[in-house]
Amino acid sequence: MKQPSSSSAGASRVKKVVVLTTAMLTFIPFWKAAAVVLCDFGSSAFYAGGIAMRAFGPAFPWYILAVMLFSGLLLMLELEACSLFVRGGAYKIVREGMGDTAAKLAASALIFDFILTGPISAVTAGHYLCGLFNSFLEWGGAAIELPENVISVLFGLLVTVYFWRQNVKGIEESSSKSAKIIAFSLAVCFLLAIWSFITMALHGAHLPPTQLAFSQEALGWAGGIDWMQTIGLVGMMMAFGHSVLALSGIETLSQVYREIEYPKAQNLKKAAWLIFGFALLFTGGLTFLSAVIIPPELVATKYYDNLLAGLAMSMAGPNILKLLMQAMIVVCGVAMLSGAVNTSLIGSNSLMNRIAEDGILTDWFRKIHRRYGTSYHIIHVIAIVQLAVILVSRGNVYLLGEAYAFGVMWCFVFEVSAIIRLRWKRAAQKRDFMFPLNIKYENYYIPVGLILLCGFLVSVACVNLFTKQVATVAGLGFTAFLFAVFSLSERLNAKRANTMFEEGYRERINAQTVDDLKEAFSELDHPHRILVAVKNPENLYHLEEVLSNANADETDVIVLYCKPVENVLYRQDMRSAAVDEQEVFTAVIFLAEKYGLPVTPVLVHSNDAYYAIAQAAAVADAEEVVMGVSGRHGANPQIERAVMTWGAVKDHELKHPVTLRILWEGREVSYRFTR
Amino acid sequence: MSTNEQSKISLGSLITPARVLLAEDYPSKKELISALVQAVCRDYKQLDPADVAAQVLKREEGISTTLDTGLSIPHARLEELTDFAAAVAVLRKPLRETSGSELPIRVMFLFLSPAKPAFFQKHLQILSALAEKFKPEFIEELASLSNAEEVALRLAR
Repeated sequence: MKQPSSSSAGASRVKKVVVLTTAMLTFIPFWKAAAVVLCDFGSSAFYAGGIAMRAFGPAFPWYILAVMLFSGLLLMLELEACSLFVRGGAYKIVREGMGDTAAKLAASALIFDFILTGPISAVTAGHYLCGLFNSFLEWGGAAIELPENVISVLFGLLVTVYFWRQNVKGIEESSSKSAKIIAFSLAVCFLLAIWSFITMALHGAHLPPTQLAFSQEALGWAGGIDWMQTIGLVGMMMAFGHSVLALSGIETLSQVYREIEYPKAQNLKKAAWLIFGFALLFTGGLTFLSAVIIPPELVATKYYDNLLAGLAMSMAGPNILKLLMQAMIVVCGVAMLSGAVNTSLIGSNSLMNRIAEDGILTDWFRKIHRRYGTSYHIIHVIAIVQLAVILVSRGNVYLLGEAYAFGVMWCFVFEVSAIIRLRWKRAAQKRDFMFPLNIKYENYYIPVGLILLCGFLVSVACVNLFTKQVATVAGLGFTAFLFAVFSLSERLNAKRANTMFEEGYRERINAQTVDDLKEAFSELDHPHRILVAVKNPENLYHLEEVLSNANADETDVIVLYCKPVENVLYRQDMRSAAVDEQEVFTAVIFLAEKYGLPVTPVLVHSNDAYYAIAQAAAVADAEEVVMGVSGRHGANPQIERAVMTWGAVKDHELKHPVTLRILWEGREVSYRFTR
Repeated sequence: MSTNEQSKISLGSLITPARVLLAEDYPSKKELISALVQAVCRDYKQLDPADVAAQVLKREEGISTTLDTGLSIPHARLEELTDFAAAVAVLRKPLRETSGSELPIRVMFLFLSPAKPAFFQKHLQILSALAEKFKPEFIEELASLSNAEEVALRLAR
């Protein structure tokens, strides 16, 4: 079937065609989603061990390994959080479960950690890079040594400024790039592991000690509390608390969840397993091997800021091979750590945007860049704070590490508490995944496992309050400051917030006017096409039916919204779609994300929706046209009008049958055009 | 989902010269519908013209049955019918409603179907086929014919 000729009846009915190019409408496989998370979460392998070593001595690999095992529980927590499909990550979950104040506190704490993740990653990358230069200089016999702290600060500033610009421009790093970085890292990890085992076979090896030897700095205020040091379990929790910075980036999973393709729940589980396995091997395994192979005195004096480089340089073998290995580690480290800088900017910007959507932030924060369409004021603020943190740190990774983990721990405390409450508040909601250890009681699943996890998280977070002085002072201070800013801003923005609340959340939609329907559908490449006409955001049962049954590998789903219009200007670019279509497409995007199926959203301006649907279906060569039932007219008059319009528009024999369906709550009226 | 086997519809079996109304123009859509209902009901004694007209007009209050080709297909599904029935009006001057919200009508095809669900797919098939057949060129051709017999003959072809 071809597009009706210009002479045919309805040719003039479609006045303007707008393709909505919101990036979130493409979905990625689980392994790419895992790679995106790992580029952030996995990057802690490059600094967590060194910081833990300085805090409590040579027992650090045991605790890093324990934290990596513990990450499995947190990933399961994220699985249940995602299965509730409350968009917006931990902040929205906490808001849903525990209310506005707790959500603002959790968000404030999390932003503190996001702001630190950037500098700690960037500065660590600088250390690795400088360490490599110094190794080459030493190998070449040069008598000079580059100042690591200065170079790492300069490199940190450079990387942050680079990603600052990228984020303002709205240029997203591709998940394919993340996958390549992780594949390369895996290869490096494999080589390191093999070589480590050879080294151990040649030089002998013994397990790291388990005794804790806290530095005075790492004891913090607990140094003055004698009973805390006498209880072994408290000591272990203190060491664990100093190691939780290895969890940096794990929360990224809830950010990439919306991008995971169908079947979403299964793919999310696969991604979580992959993340867990990789983190355990990469962060846990390599940190452990470093402790076994690098002499403890070198870890404490030379390699605490670039532990994995130390591992390469401590292997058995010729120096040139060690240098090559170190270079590979540095390439992999710089790529992953830089990725983490970017993720920290994206994460904090995204979190601030979620807060802004709730009307908490004033319009100044919500201001959209005229050219790039990004929330550039938020990005500017975050990047400037990150640059300041890098300068204040003066390249001291340990200081940054000591400040870190306040937010992530307390945010997880809030999140797990919220999920526990949601077990009651949303008892009827079907969950694709539930955190293990539950007791069924009437209609409820009592979350024994979650309660235990919550207890443990609270304990570690409380112990950290005493031991991680920098984190406590800076974290509490920053969180209190940000919470005050949010509260004040919310009060100033109260009137606007009420309007936003009444309107509901609106997806920011990028729209582009195209010449005609043919251009709008030019990128469809699957053999089957279904056109779904939408009108009312409250009535998308038919779209949900299509998305729950469509095969994403074979089918393009076109979602068409016909905006009734009398007079329109042709070829006028729309920066942002008007309010009503935003509401419709927000609901469409929500469903597309829920099912992980890509859709092609198209808005047409037309003075007759039935003509527009028939023409669009003809141009798209759709095999199915699906509509929802109209509450005003009913399904039969709708399908009568649709078949009449189809007849009026049609001027060629069909290449294949086309089925017209009107769907509503378990019912269907359909008609099949066969010629 | 039920499917239908589409075949060319024979308008000759639905339209006889007695059910063709050829006019220069007509004052209103409502009156034109009433005239066509009268034409059909002459052959179907079981139908009450007032009741049929009321049902057709009620349907007209919903989604428009007028296409921008100039074809209007007012229709209703009636319990009393066991087969399809129709009448057609061809206007030389387009009928324009005073409200101005309706499209101009050049041909009105009154179409009555049995209400039983078994006929619904055929009902849809005929609606589609009518819309496909009555393109602007065909309507022009009908309007140029001089009497009802010629119109019926042309439709039967």
